[in-house]
Amino acid sequence: MSLRKIIDWSITEASGDLTGTIASPFYQFFDSNGSWTWACDVDIGKDQPLRNVPVANNNRDIIYAQVGMPVALKRQVGNNYAIVGLSKTTVGDTHIIYMRFGDAFGQVTGTARYANVYRPLTYGELANYYGGYGNVPYGSIGRFDANGDLVELIRSY
Amino acid sequence: MRHISNTLAALMSDYKSQPDYRIYAFRPYEDSYTKIITNPAACHPLDITDLCSEISWSPTQVDFTFKDSTGDFNPDGGQFRSYLADGCILRLKEGDSRVSEDQWVWTFTGAIRGQLGWVMNRAKKTLESKVTVYSRDNTSAFKKRQMTTQNYTKGSDLGVALRDICKLMGITGGEIRIPYTLGRSFYFNNNQICQLAPWEGMSQLLEVAMDVPIFDGEGKLSSYSKNMNRPADVVFDDDSYILDYQVVSRADDAINKVQVTFLDSNMTKVGSTCQKLGEANITTGFFTFAEHLDCYFSQDKKQRAENTFMKVIKSINANLLPIGSESYKQIDDFHGEITISIGIWVPLLATGMLAAYVAAAWIPDYSTPGQPVVGVAMVDDFGPAPVVGTTKTPHPTLSWGKVIQAVALIGIMYIMMCLGSCQYEIWGTPYDMAYIEKRSIAIVEGIEYYQENELDIKNDFVGTQDWSDTLAMTELTYQQSKACPRQLTIRDYLGLEIGDIIQLKDGRKICISNMKKTIKRGQIAPLVIDGFKVLTY
Repeated sequence: MSLRKIIDWSITEASGDLTGTIASPFYQFFDSNGSWTWACDVDIGKDQPLRNVPVANNNRDIIYAQVGMPVALKRQVGNNYAIVGLSKTTVGDTHIIYMRFGDAFGQVTGTARYANVYRPLTYGELANYYGGYGNVPYGSIGRFDANGDLVELIRSY
Repeated sequence: MRHISNTLAALMSDYKSQPDYRIYAFRPYEDSYTKIITNPAACHPLDITDLCSEISWSPTQVDFTFKDSTGDFNPDGGQFRSYLADGCILRLKEGDSRVSEDQWVWTFTGAIRGQLGWVMNRAKKTLESKVTVYSRDNTSAFKKRQMTTQNYTKGSDLGVALRDICKLMGITGGEIRIPYTLGRSFYFNNNQICQLAPWEGMSQLLEVAMDVPIFDGEGKLSSYSKNMNRPADVVFDDDSYILDYQVVSRADDAINKVQVTFLDSNMTKVGSTCQKLGEANITTGFFTFAEHLDCYFSQDKKQRAENTFMKVIKSINANLLPIGSESYKQIDDFHGEITISIGIWVPLLATGMLAAYVAAAWIPDYSTPGQPVVGVAMVDDFGPAPVVGTTKTPHPTLSWGKVIQAVALIGIMYIMMCLGSCQYEIWGTPYDMAYIEKRSIAIVEGIEYYQENELDIKNDFVGTQDWSDTLAMTELTYQQSKACPRQLTIRDYLGLEIGDIIQLKDGRKICISNMKKTIKRGQIAPLVIDGFKVLTY
């Protein structure tokens, strides 16, 4: 990768507008400046959601949005993102095609589908995972894959 | 692949070929690209071939040394100085001196940018200038200025938008080699290219068709395909054309992951979690047979919701006597209706009780001779009148009417106590309609996360997942091909253009990414081709 490409990549990354999906209920977050702020986790289509994403000032209405709503993020000073509003676009699923290339030909060797779905665990899931009822409270948020299988527990209240 | 006549092709393949060329300069302000390309007969260019030397050519740039011994091109007073001024168009025509110039081909059309630098050679008494001519797309008009197109409806071919951008940039139909239709259409109801550089807009439209825009040697807008599965444009059956073949080194990382991101044209329902959407407090009365209350899911009446239901906080039947029914139904996406129905017997009973109460007021008290007086009122011929008891001593009395009235009043009050306020909450799953950003990733099998070198393509004109998959696979194959750079040196072949695929005798295919040569009259110029080995899938 040339220096030019690295610079271009950095500029693109720094321009910093993202869309995502709310992945947890809003909660009070004690930020590094020592103040309490409203925040939540946001799925941006990657393996891990962005954690503790604060809501930008003068956007109090956003904290009434619930898990699954699309939001717009903007990069702030210090490489943090903040939720600046609701979005009309949101991250969807991804179709992955695996290819292998030889000397002259390439071939498709497999496909997969990738998606993140964040939602509260159902009664059945509460009973089946984490040792049964009582270990995880009702209302806990989980991350599920494209097949609907639970990947991890995001928030438990 | 540039078209060349059979005669010229035959002569060029001959070892006795006599390459020749001409460089023409056109007057700025008078001869535009459109006029030069579509109506060359109306132009009167200046043939400056004899004054040019050390000509190096590539599809995007031509450099040469210009020697002016007469001073005609002196920027300060020369009679032809305007032919080499800023914006002046120059064209290079190549062919074989054994055929007429009509059969030659234009291999470069471009313009001078800025002001040329001149040096006086004192020994030879000539003015010299290093002239660089840039191809048509290498201008800020194409790559820096931003434009916004009109709105296109769903189903319009992308080629229509491409033509409109061309029109905006002053490119007429005769200057375009790209077909009218690209075979791909807009998927959204509203489609507009907004604040993009024209060249970027063209590139995005052609990207959907897996093409890349270029200006050809004639100055016409053309394109080449990134689809490596297409057949070769030219086949060299023997090695007579090939002078040298090199596997060149490559220092940069190969792209091994291509991600195509596009917006799904269908808006998708984005749901949230089940939550309270609203609440209602209702007060009802005796004679309200049915109370209807609209309940919107937000104060601004714009929130959509589904699977809504009513949670009863305080029922109309919470008291001893069930007096009615309460129900809820969703009317549309934005609101539902709570209906409180009071049983018909309630007003009937209340009315009956009230009538009984009033009627009981008219029940008289009677006295029997010889018995203690019961009651305080007697009826004489003149109607009811207060009468002081006829007995000498007062006796407690009990009015029958009062008893009946009390019963009626209790009935009425009981109904009143049962009626009154009730409280409900409406719950449901709010949702909104949003565009889903979908992705296709074509990735080389078996690489780890830290080995990935990703190329990200964002194009909202892709429209469907299937086509996005095709684009990702095609681009990855193209990038993997680019990771196998090759350099060919061949005898000049005027028909070649960037993006063409050359097939060698042994079946190997090379895709051209750049070309360069040094042109000299009467000498067969070796054409150096930078390219890469073609991989297909």
